[in-house]
Amino acid sequence: MVLVIFWITVGTTWAESLEPPMDIPSSEDTDAIFFDPFDDDGEDFYGNEDQMPDMVADPIAGFNRAMFVFNDKLYFWVLKPAASGYRVVVPIPVRVSVKNFFFNLLAPVRLVNSLFQGKWRSAEGEFCRFVVNSTAGFLGLFNLVRDKPSFNPPEEDFGQTLGYYNVGNGVYIIWPLFGPSTLRDTVGSIGDWALNPFAFMQLIQVDAGVLTSSETNIIAYGVRTVNSTSFRIGDYEALKNAALDPYEAFRNAYIQNRLSMIAQ
Amino acid sequence: MIPKQISAALVVFVMTVLLATAGSTEPMAIIKVPIDRVIDILNDPQYKVAGTKLTQRNQIWKHVGPMFDFDEVARRAVARKWRDFADTEKAAFTDVFAQFLGNTYIDKIQGEYHNEQIVYLGQNYHSEVYAEVKTRIVRETAEIPVDYRMRKKSDDQWKVYDIIVEGVSLVKNYRSQFASILRKETPAQLIQRLNDKLTEQNKRLAENE
Repeated sequence: MVLVIFWITVGTTWAESLEPPMDIPSSEDTDAIFFDPFDDDGEDFYGNEDQMPDMVADPIAGFNRAMFVFNDKLYFWVLKPAASGYRVVVPIPVRVSVKNFFFNLLAPVRLVNSLFQGKWRSAEGEFCRFVVNSTAGFLGLFNLVRDKPSFNPPEEDFGQTLGYYNVGNGVYIIWPLFGPSTLRDTVGSIGDWALNPFAFMQLIQVDAGVLTSSETNIIAYGVRTVNSTSFRIGDYEALKNAALDPYEAFRNAYIQNRLSMIAQ
Repeated sequence: MIPKQISAALVVFVMTVLLATAGSTEPMAIIKVPIDRVIDILNDPQYKVAGTKLTQRNQIWKHVGPMFDFDEVARRAVARKWRDFADTEKAAFTDVFAQFLGNTYIDKIQGEYHNEQIVYLGQNYHSEVYAEVKTRIVRETAEIPVDYRMRKKSDDQWKVYDIIVEGVSLVKNYRSQFASILRKETPAQLIQRLNDKLTEQNKRLAENE
């Protein structure tokens, strides 16, 4: 009974506290000051089109559109069949472990870029996860700290580091095989590539035999791509079907996604 | 000892107060209630039978449709060109765009639902009329952040006007597409495009029944 009365009190005071009359402008009134308060950029909907913050320069649109078609065909003709077959043959725990293994292997990339951006907590999380999973997690096959938020900071890369220091996107580029990028993120990807252990050993001229051969690099990239695609078959199709102008939709999504990652 | 009738009346009263406040004030509840229902519908064995997809889709739409303010979604997605739309075009566009979005996303979750869990992280109020509900879809290997941006309407109901998936705003994404189409075409042509897409979609969905 006490509980019930307590609830009444809480319930009513709660209702009262939210009582103050609110001045809600109708849709038409807000037409002129049409904004989304959650956007930092405070975009002016009726401003100059060229100033849309999500836009990216696309001077090589002809090339990009051709590459968009190329990658689309590559997905439907090669990657999707490969990943679908792989998904049937390889059981989930194995696929998860393959994913974990590559994720762990690339920890140096995320760690270094967390440090570059002065994100000490993230770096600490990356470092601890790397140590735990590389040892107790059998070379990264198991992610033992999956449910610990402090061990799972936002993933950093060199493109984000450059963005963090206010380097702009530059131009939009769609690479064959690798997909959408920008000039900045391409430079970033090259930096990240140099930090992956296979490439790094090559660069500092450590001869680890088969591990440092180009074939190993290519095979590793292929396995990683097919494996990660096996978890997201259908996503690309859904996004494409949801679009009226797929080229524009993917370009905008890429830029928005990168902006949000840099902001994290 | 309080007589039974009084305590029963009290309980009813409390429930009413709680439901009323929860209904009109909590943006998160506006999201959570229908989404939990949708997950029940997706797991419901009666829809595991062939030929029930359309019924299931209609059931899902019945719950998620009212979460959204499609007038606001359409207006924001078209943005500055909205002024070039005649009133009838505005209505036609809103209607076809809502159906198109419903079809697209319900088909996606019908085909792809594999016991993902939804985690409700919290809600932020930006002002008295703007709020954001943060959620996360937890898959076997990945977590997908999904934020719902909401506006309180003059009838005191919170409605979603944008969804942000992995940092990508649905409204902004369509805005860039509509802008590029409307640079070359009229509003009527854009509506026609959406109608064509919807027809094609409905045909495909009917075939997959």
